[in-house]
Amino acid sequence: MKRLMRSCVWIIAVLALLGAVPTAKIQSMIAKPTVLCGRFDQTKQLVGLKKPVRSRGRFCVLAEKGVLWRSEWPFANTIKLTRDEIVQLQGERVAMRLEAKKEPTVRMINSVLFALLAGDLDQLEKLFEIDGDVNHQSWHVTLKPRTAALERAIGAITLDGAEYVKNIAINESSGDRTSIVFSAIQTGEGAMTVDEAALF
Amino acid sequence: MTRRGLPVFLWTVIVGSLLAHNLYLWVSGGIHPDTDILALLPAERRDPALEQASVKMVDAAEQRLIALIGAPDWAEARRAADAYREVLGRHGDLFQLTDQAGERLESGFLALFGRYRQVLLTAADEAELHNRPAQFWIDRALAKLSSPFSGPQLGAWQDDPFGLFRSWAQARAQETPVRPRDGRLFVSDARRAYVVIPINLRAPAFSIGGQQLALPILERARQAAQSAVPQADVLEAGVVLHAAFAGAQAQRELSIIGIGSLSGIVLLMGLAFRSIKPIGLILLSIAVGCLGALSVSSLVFEKIHLITLVFGASLIGVAQDYGIYFLCQRLSANSEIDSWQLLRRVLPALILALVTTVIGYTGLALTPFPGLRQMAVFSVTGLIFGWLAVALWFPTVARERAGKPLPLAERCAAASMRWPLICRDRATYSALAALAIFAAIGWSRLSAQDDIRSLHNPPKKLLDDQIKISELLDLPTPAQFFLLRGATPEILLEREETLKTRLDPLVERKLLTGYHAISNWVPSAQRQTSRHRLVEKALLSDDGALAVLAQQIGEDRHWVAALGARFLAPAEPLTVDKFLKAPASEPWRHLWLGKSADGYASVVALSGVGKAGLTALSQAADGLQAVQWVDKVGEISSVLGKYRYAMSWVLLLSYLAVFGLLYPRYGFAGWRALGPTALASIATLAILGIMGKGIELFHVLALMLLLGIGVDYGIFFQEQSGAEDGAAWLAVGLSALSTLLSFGLLALSKTPALQAFGLTMALGIITVCLIVPFFRKQ
Repeated sequence: MKRLMRSCVWIIAVLALLGAVPTAKIQSMIAKPTVLCGRFDQTKQLVGLKKPVRSRGRFCVLAEKGVLWRSEWPFANTIKLTRDEIVQLQGERVAMRLEAKKEPTVRMINSVLFALLAGDLDQLEKLFEIDGDVNHQSWHVTLKPRTAALERAIGAITLDGAEYVKNIAINESSGDRTSIVFSAIQTGEGAMTVDEAALF
Repeated sequence: MTRRGLPVFLWTVIVGSLLAHNLYLWVSGGIHPDTDILALLPAERRDPALEQASVKMVDAAEQRLIALIGAPDWAEARRAADAYREVLGRHGDLFQLTDQAGERLESGFLALFGRYRQVLLTAADEAELHNRPAQFWIDRALAKLSSPFSGPQLGAWQDDPFGLFRSWAQARAQETPVRPRDGRLFVSDARRAYVVIPINLRAPAFSIGGQQLALPILERARQAAQSAVPQADVLEAGVVLHAAFAGAQAQRELSIIGIGSLSGIVLLMGLAFRSIKPIGLILLSIAVGCLGALSVSSLVFEKIHLITLVFGASLIGVAQDYGIYFLCQRLSANSEIDSWQLLRRVLPALILALVTTVIGYTGLALTPFPGLRQMAVFSVTGLIFGWLAVALWFPTVARERAGKPLPLAERCAAASMRWPLICRDRATYSALAALAIFAAIGWSRLSAQDDIRSLHNPPKKLLDDQIKISELLDLPTPAQFFLLRGATPEILLEREETLKTRLDPLVERKLLTGYHAISNWVPSAQRQTSRHRLVEKALLSDDGALAVLAQQIGEDRHWVAALGARFLAPAEPLTVDKFLKAPASEPWRHLWLGKSADGYASVVALSGVGKAGLTALSQAADGLQAVQWVDKVGEISSVLGKYRYAMSWVLLLSYLAVFGLLYPRYGFAGWRALGPTALASIATLAILGIMGKGIELFHVLALMLLLGIGVDYGIFFQEQSGAEDGAAWLAVGLSALSTLLSFGLLALSKTPALQAFGLTMALGIITVCLIVPFFRKQ
């Protein structure tokens, strides 16, 4: 009986090792450029709409600074997230501005978004339970919010990637679903266009 | 029993019962001095709604304590906060930690407001619905569709395609920057993340016992937080901290003044009389005075304030005057004179001295400040009892002349011969001229000061913490708000909405950061109906925004019809009652004062009000019906100013009244008794001016008391005739020194009001003493 117990413990321990998420491995695969820009194709499947809503555009992730999300089609709309604010621009007009001073979650949203786009699993692990696997040059993870509040706010997320994040899929608790595919990734100084750089 | 024996006997019985009552008070715990810092503030005018509003705004906070534990990193802040909570959690009988309230509130939010989403709009969106074309709304809906992370979700996209409810919810969320995060309350500034810990104190904040239990535990919690995370930053605010500070300070001052005055008086009496008996007698009269003061005050008032005791301690220096005067007379009087005969001789002077001093203290009772009234009652009863002890016991006890004539008295008499007298000569005129010039210089520098800080002056650390916490939490000020009334809740909500249209421009001009009102959450029924119509007209018409949007995302007429129908589905209106019953209203319930005899009342609270905004805010409600601007700070300052002015007149009239009192005995020569005090008051004000002090109500009140005490010295001098001058000199000198000691010690008080009082009295007494011999009888 005692022996049986002991072997059980062993088996559980080994299983746990096998099941451990290779976040360190994934982290080592992901590049961490100071500037990362690329194109995105987004598909939203919303409750009550027959057809999916598509949009596409460009995005940039700037280490230490923030995130720029510019949809170009079917509608020009720019969202800039920094440590201190979230600004939404329609053309030149500021359609919305959320200041961190008034809305403390701005910093949280910014850090989550940054971590998602940059594939910073260490950061994400603070907020989500991470489950995933590595397959040759690519990896796949699912993120389950650790708190009910985050579950309500963001929902469950899956990420695919290799050197960079390739896909993000978000399942919101309301039933709305978003899927984003990234392409044409560029890094380094030349990655940003002149007017993108002007926004920071 | 003899004719004299009866009153003496009765008096002994009274003192016996005083003693018994005091014993009973101490044993039964009836004397537990109050440390309410607001006790010095003026009592509320008789306006029930205003009173209730102030109580809800201020007193609701009485038992509340708030701690913010910050660190550069959220995880560290959490660790430090957990250590802090752990210490407090062990004392559940004293501290109640409200747990995860935020999380619960957030989840209940949608359940309540989701049902009324079509009428919950921000003022800005409402204006845009009036002014903007359909394209604006189509763009807004599309932008919302294209943004990948729309933030906290309030239902599916189709429940709120134009984001109207969402921006309303966001505006409501922004009424406080505190957010639930990881099961804690979170707030941050650019450099630090803080855990907010609201604490309810279970022991009364103003009881010294409660403070003595709570404060060391808070200190231990602070240390625990800082040893868990060395760079942790602990900010605390709460009435109990102020009360504990004020209480500890008052206790310290009480013992300094009490022990200081008593030992000073014992020393003085010892030097002057060189015998134990007089010292014992003086202490006896002081003790009877204090017993009487405590007994009567505890019967008249519910609670005795600690600050009353601090001020009352200065009574020690005043109550002995009569005893000293009698003993000095006894010792210098002819030994053949019986003590009762002596009393009969000095009684008129003693009565006048008592009455004038009582007049001096009455000034305090004329103000609307409960604390000052208590001080007046305490001091006056103390004086009367001390006086009665002298009049009824001293003749029996101090029967014969003790020992040889006092050497000190003889020396005083000798000195008096050399002190010049005022008369119509050059020396007098030039002295008066010099005084006039001095007064002119000093008075020209006088300025008025009616700052509330003279009533309560907390230490810098407490104040800094409080300011920082108010900024971080964007707390509304409890001292300034609008009070609204209306016959029905609907009228009240409509009045709030009108007021808010006047406040919005002020928010835009950054004169305040925002306002809190029940109508932010519950629009008036009238407004709910008009918004319903507005949304229908602006967005749901046949070729309106929703229809065009449908085309662009490939939906058909049926979809438009279904969405429109859902949107316009008749819902019963959201009412204040429904809101108040929901958990989401918990932080805002204090704004609704509810029904009273003359209808309903509510408060519109303001946050981030700067000095610059006060004038504009005070005028914001001009012309609005049943809207009242309440500014407690301004009100107290204006009350202080008004009474400073009024009491100055009362002071002048008191001089006339005292002159009238003196007239029957001294005739026009009464000016000789009154003159020294008048000149001393003028000189004292001049000295204060040169010291650069702003004149407060408390300086004026002190001058009033100076009149009461200073005139005593004048009276003692007028009662003398040549040979016995020495006794008067000695009596005045001893009285003045002990009074000076008491008020000088009071001048060291950290409570600015008491300090002003003590300083004025000390300066005044010195000057009176120097001047009074010039005015002696020829």
